[in-house]
Amino acid sequence: MDKVELNVNGFSHTVLVDSSETILDTLRNRLYLTGTKKCCDEGTCGSCTVHLDGKPVLGCLTPTMRCVGKKIVTIEGISAGEDLHPVQKHLVKNLGLQCGFCTPGVVMTAVPYLENNPDPSIDEIKNSLSGNLCRCTGYKKINEAIQSAAEEMNS
Amino acid sequence: MGNYYHPSSIKEALRLAANNSGNYMYFSGGTDLQIYRKQGLENSETIIDLNAIEATERILVKNASLQMSAFTFLEEISLSKDIQLHFPLLAQAAKSVATPVIRKTATIGGNILVNNRCTFYNQSKEWRQAVGSCMRDVGDICQVTGGKNKCYSRNVSDTAPALIALNASVVVHNQEGEEEIPLKDLYSPDGIIFHQHLDKDAILKKINIPEKPKTWWFKKLRLRKTLDFTSLTLAAVVDNKDIVRICINGMSMSPILIEESFHSLSIENLLKQARKNCKTVDNDLMPMKYRKEMMNVFLKQWWSTVYSN
Repeated sequence: MDKVELNVNGFSHTVLVDSSETILDTLRNRLYLTGTKKCCDEGTCGSCTVHLDGKPVLGCLTPTMRCVGKKIVTIEGISAGEDLHPVQKHLVKNLGLQCGFCTPGVVMTAVPYLENNPDPSIDEIKNSLSGNLCRCTGYKKINEAIQSAAEEMNS
Repeated sequence: MGNYYHPSSIKEALRLAANNSGNYMYFSGGTDLQIYRKQGLENSETIIDLNAIEATERILVKNASLQMSAFTFLEEISLSKDIQLHFPLLAQAAKSVATPVIRKTATIGGNILVNNRCTFYNQSKEWRQAVGSCMRDVGDICQVTGGKNKCYSRNVSDTAPALIALNASVVVHNQEGEEEIPLKDLYSPDGIIFHQHLDKDAILKKINIPEKPKTWWFKKLRLRKTLDFTSLTLAAVVDNKDIVRICINGMSMSPILIEESFHSLSIENLLKQARKNCKTVDNDLMPMKYRKEMMNVFLKQWWSTVYSN
């Protein structure tokens, strides 16, 4: 086991991790940040997306040791206290979720995308979220919610 | 349990490799290899993560030729204005790999050296044990053909066929120093030992493309428009000396290159060469017969695009 210091959502944590552990397991099992979901565990579904120095990465494929010295942001750190991020707000408003299991991954993928692409078309949104699988909604409402969020973030 | 190293230079990575006597693996993006570890297909104790190695020239287009670091992320390649302008085939190929989020972590070097795949090998340990492990794992026969002599796992790189069609070479760094070799020579038609001229400790450092082609064509067949590994990829160029280079991948153990003069090539000859060289078996989600049929369709589409102009 290695003792490492991780910066998660602005807080510093000292944890003992296995050298081959992924950041998904560290977040969920050692820091109890269970908002990041473990689903396929092989890079297929996008549910475990977190930000590493502002870049979206798949938690299940990213070694924890690679995250040392970087800023990690999880779904727990994306909103300002009780004020939801526009992406979260519009997913709720547009009914862009049912079971909600894919939602943290969708939010964590959409936020940096909208920050870099303020006025995306529906096709561009579909493409940007093509690595996030949802087995409930059929995607239409998710895409519409992201477009509404883009409009709010742009206004 | 094991060790994890994060070297900041190739020299340091090679030193770590030498100290770990074969029981290590390199990670570049690691997006594919991490799954091999989870499925128990790769059990090296030590991980040498090349992610922190800073490349000086990531993408450099000069006099219509391209030099690129092997550590360049696929997303950087697909979004690079220089590559889109001079080598759109490569931009297209990079964009066709995996998903937008994975392309932010996965590197071109990793995609060039992606492990061969087979529906009977790339499965969980429990799945493999239930079916009976194949010769590439711990068994002694090929589960697809029933034979004992050959593994037919497929090369599934999408950037490799594009780069081979563009006549690219790669710079490989090992304990002895650097060596530049044509990319097409890196692959061997074997489902288990699918790379040659590449020592265990070798690190892919650079990719060079000598010149911008006259025309290009790229198409990928897969079940979904995103994420899936290729079932068939076809990349083709006509260069400035009127040489046609068509590279087919996803059908055989290594990429298949067909190189002919533009003026002497016939569609019949092209289809015949492709059929002869593709050692295709039923080891993909799409049936073999369908993929063979689609290979002919792709080749005919390319032919009608290029020869109608």
